[in-house]
Amino acid sequence: MSKGKIAIIGIGEVPTRNMPERTHWDIIYDTCMEAVRDSGLNKNDIEGAISVTPQAQPKIAAELSFGKLPEELGLKGCKDAVSVNAGGASTSNAIRLAEQWITSGIAKAVLVHHVTVHSTIPIPDLINFFARAGVDLQWEYPYGTTYNIIMGLMANRYIKETGCKPEEMASVVTALRSWAAKDPNSFFYGKEVPSVEKVLASALLNTPLHKRESNVLGDGGSAMVIVSAEDAKKMKRPAAYKLGDSVRYFSGTCVMRDFYKVTEGFIVTAKEAMAQAGITKEDVSLWNCYLAYPLAHPLIAELLEVAPQGMGGKYFLEGRMSFGGDIPWSSIGDAPGRGHTGSGVSAATYVETARQLMGKAGERQVRNCKYVYQNAGGGSGFNNIATIWGKEI
Amino acid sequence: MDFDMTKPVPETQPWSEKFWEGAKEGKLLIQVCKDCKSKIFYPRKFCPECWSGNLGWIEATGKAKIFTFSTAYDMVEPKFTDELPYTIAYVDLDEGIRMMTRIVDCKPEDISIDMEVEVVFQERGGYFLPYFRPAGKK
Repeated sequence: MSKGKIAIIGIGEVPTRNMPERTHWDIIYDTCMEAVRDSGLNKNDIEGAISVTPQAQPKIAAELSFGKLPEELGLKGCKDAVSVNAGGASTSNAIRLAEQWITSGIAKAVLVHHVTVHSTIPIPDLINFFARAGVDLQWEYPYGTTYNIIMGLMANRYIKETGCKPEEMASVVTALRSWAAKDPNSFFYGKEVPSVEKVLASALLNTPLHKRESNVLGDGGSAMVIVSAEDAKKMKRPAAYKLGDSVRYFSGTCVMRDFYKVTEGFIVTAKEAMAQAGITKEDVSLWNCYLAYPLAHPLIAELLEVAPQGMGGKYFLEGRMSFGGDIPWSSIGDAPGRGHTGSGVSAATYVETARQLMGKAGERQVRNCKYVYQNAGGGSGFNNIATIWGKEI
Repeated sequence: MDFDMTKPVPETQPWSEKFWEGAKEGKLLIQVCKDCKSKIFYPRKFCPECWSGNLGWIEATGKAKIFTFSTAYDMVEPKFTDELPYTIAYVDLDEGIRMMTRIVDCKPEDISIDMEVEVVFQERGGYFLPYFRPAGKK
């Protein structure tokens, strides 16, 4: 389906921080210009611009969806601009659209970017937005549910079925933060990595989720330049080639989400994406998982057959997925490590996938990084998109 | 800071109003398709299995089992903080329907997965939300 048609050849990113003085357009300039420069192209070579729609930020979302980006950045060769919104799955769809533009001849080089500034949104608006988004307003919201509670529901069932222990669950935070501590773009860069004991000692928000197992909202942004695989090869520059793409839809309403359909969906999408890429799980150098919360990681490690069934939590507790462990996993630390930038965490994860394959990940560079599995999902988990990226075609 | 403290009520659709009317009378109604016999939750305009518009209602027994739950102690919307702690659960009705609800009339530490529960309705803004409590509890 997708094997070897496109490649990311340029990336740009700003640190995730709460910096209200850094405007949306500050971030857009910095990330997009860095990505174009990194690609080796001229700004006027960009023929398409795709924005990942910022959530809960209607003003910038409107500016971007009504085509301001190419004009603001002076992209004189740009033929079209659009915004894409599928929550956390937006970037995956932005990349698919870039692929369609490139393969159909609409554009030779496409700029995909994301920006979010949470710190200037009034707190009541922010709380209300995240309380209602992805939650059914008739059958769920009136009961007082939240994203945290939805994760708690899933985690408690997983614990019941597998016997996963609280310290194993908590160790996921330690693992994710160990990567984040080495990532200059992370909210927690250079900060102490919390021990399992410290995670469990933090306040209980809702069973079994502790405060340190939740997310910190931040501002941030990232960008990438995408061209055809053929052009990337000709340019002889470091690139990340898209080799596989598979997806399953689950449900828009949380309570309608059949747990077994979800687990099956994670298994099938991984297998299909790997089959398209012509690889097996043994070939994967980095499991770059975007799950937004730590509690789902042990389950996904098992579904991807990275850990044996019922052993996902134990693997995290043993430090195997931590920085320096033998299973490179979520090397920006997912949302709990990076800081949550709305739909931007998946954008940042794609940029990290490219960064690792390009050999530009510095201290976090995975040795001999050849193939990366990356997933993304939208809303409160309405789907799962599995992709495989490679260093070469 | 100005928080909206209004307790939310269900944002209904014309085809779900019967459900809420039933709840007001203490009945837990399940939508059914008269053509393909599917039991439908949540209520739809057309049957999601066969797209028939020939839909009706049956009354559920109100008996269910907890599939999973999570008890909230903090970080909920300000409009719900006065109700903390509270337990949100997915319950599986005897009729094969799964719904989100709250577990009430017991201590959070006494709640467990697979626990048998029964429906009890609680009023909010003119709507009667189906909550569940331990089975047999008076």
